[in-house]
Amino acid sequence: MAKNNATIQEKIAQLDELVAWFDGDEFSLEAATEVFKKAEALAREIEADLTELKNEVQIVKASFDKE
Amino acid sequence: MEKLQLSVSDFIALTNQTLEYAYPTVVIEGEVASFKINQGKYVFFDLKDSEASVGCFMMAFQLRMPVEDGMKVTITASPKLTRVGKFSLTVRSIRPSGEGALKKSFELLRAKLAAEGLFASERKRLLPSAPQRIAVVSSTQAAGYADFIKILNDRWGGMHIDVAQVQVQGQSAPDQMIRALQYFNSQKSLPEVIVVIRGGGSADDLAAFNDEQLVRQIASSRVPTLVGVGHETDTTLADLAADVRAATPSNAAQILVPDKHEIIRAARLRASSAGTQLLNRISDQIRSTGQQLEDMYERFEYRFEQAETATQQLRRILTQVDPGVALRRGYAILRGTQAVGEIVEIETNTAIMKAKVMEYTANGKE
Repeated sequence: MAKNNATIQEKIAQLDELVAWFDGDEFSLEAATEVFKKAEALAREIEADLTELKNEVQIVKASFDKE
Repeated sequence: MEKLQLSVSDFIALTNQTLEYAYPTVVIEGEVASFKINQGKYVFFDLKDSEASVGCFMMAFQLRMPVEDGMKVTITASPKLTRVGKFSLTVRSIRPSGEGALKKSFELLRAKLAAEGLFASERKRLLPSAPQRIAVVSSTQAAGYADFIKILNDRWGGMHIDVAQVQVQGQSAPDQMIRALQYFNSQKSLPEVIVVIRGGGSADDLAAFNDEQLVRQIASSRVPTLVGVGHETDTTLADLAADVRAATPSNAAQILVPDKHEIIRAARLRASSAGTQLLNRISDQIRSTGQQLEDMYERFEYRFEQAETATQQLRRILTQVDPGVALRRGYAILRGTQAVGEIVEIETNTAIMKAKVMEYTANGKE
């Protein structure tokens, strides 16, 4: 699967759509295995993205002691 | 000692110089009496104990908490002799002293600000669900701050967190926090949320978060605010003015960002549910195909039975109209003109014979 450049929120939405496809009218057995593989890959990607992301903490240089 | 001869003005100026040198700042605890505000600007009251009383003066804008007669307070002031020769303390700050006064001051200010609608639920804004740019107002030395950052890092990533290092207790804390809030609110690129946090402490430690100007600054923030101060049982006016109140700094981190571990679990579950759904759909398909075959067989069987029944009926009809059956039962077939003197042919089950009609009588059934 090609690298997905979407944000994590977008990927979660994509995963929801893929899972909902199995309940939808467009479901077909021929395409089902491919959609399932995509869903699995997306779940792995979400996990990797969330694990890799780090926060950046910066102390503001301005002093608030005096006006 | 040489006698010093001075004008009245010089005497007062010299006395004030002496006082300023000897007592630049005094901190005095006492009970407030005769409290009044003139022209909305000038505050006058007496500070007294059981044996003495001293007049005090301050500007109304320096008043950071409601004060009323009988309240025990601690003032920071400079002694001064006025131009009319009256001794007075010029107050720079005043704060409630003791639990009773703190509570009284808290309730008075709470009622005042509530009446102005600062705590109204309709003013509250929602926080972004997964903010990427956060501003924090806290002391980086405080345990509450460390808890907040630890939980934040554990729960979510990819955020830029700007921290304004301020005092979170003591006299200068409210002003420092106000300046930090103003700083974040004046940024060209605004943060998505401002978080004000401080760990637990005594009522006096948390008093900074009941400062009227700080509470007003939080309420007027352009950026949505989240305040997590003290322990679960502590409620400050800053909490009430915030868009969202957290019980503790740790709780603030929990409110602010989703838990990535839960999201990972949910994503795994979703993908696995897709697999289950796929198997279910395949089973459904197999079941459906089997059902179709069964239906087809039943329809075939029904049609076959229908055809068989129709054939039997036809066979019965054919049997009934077969002349041979009548002959076998003893009847005969008569062929030829039925009139006296005519020769007719008679067929029975076993023979064919010719006979002459001797008599003809119609039986009236024709």
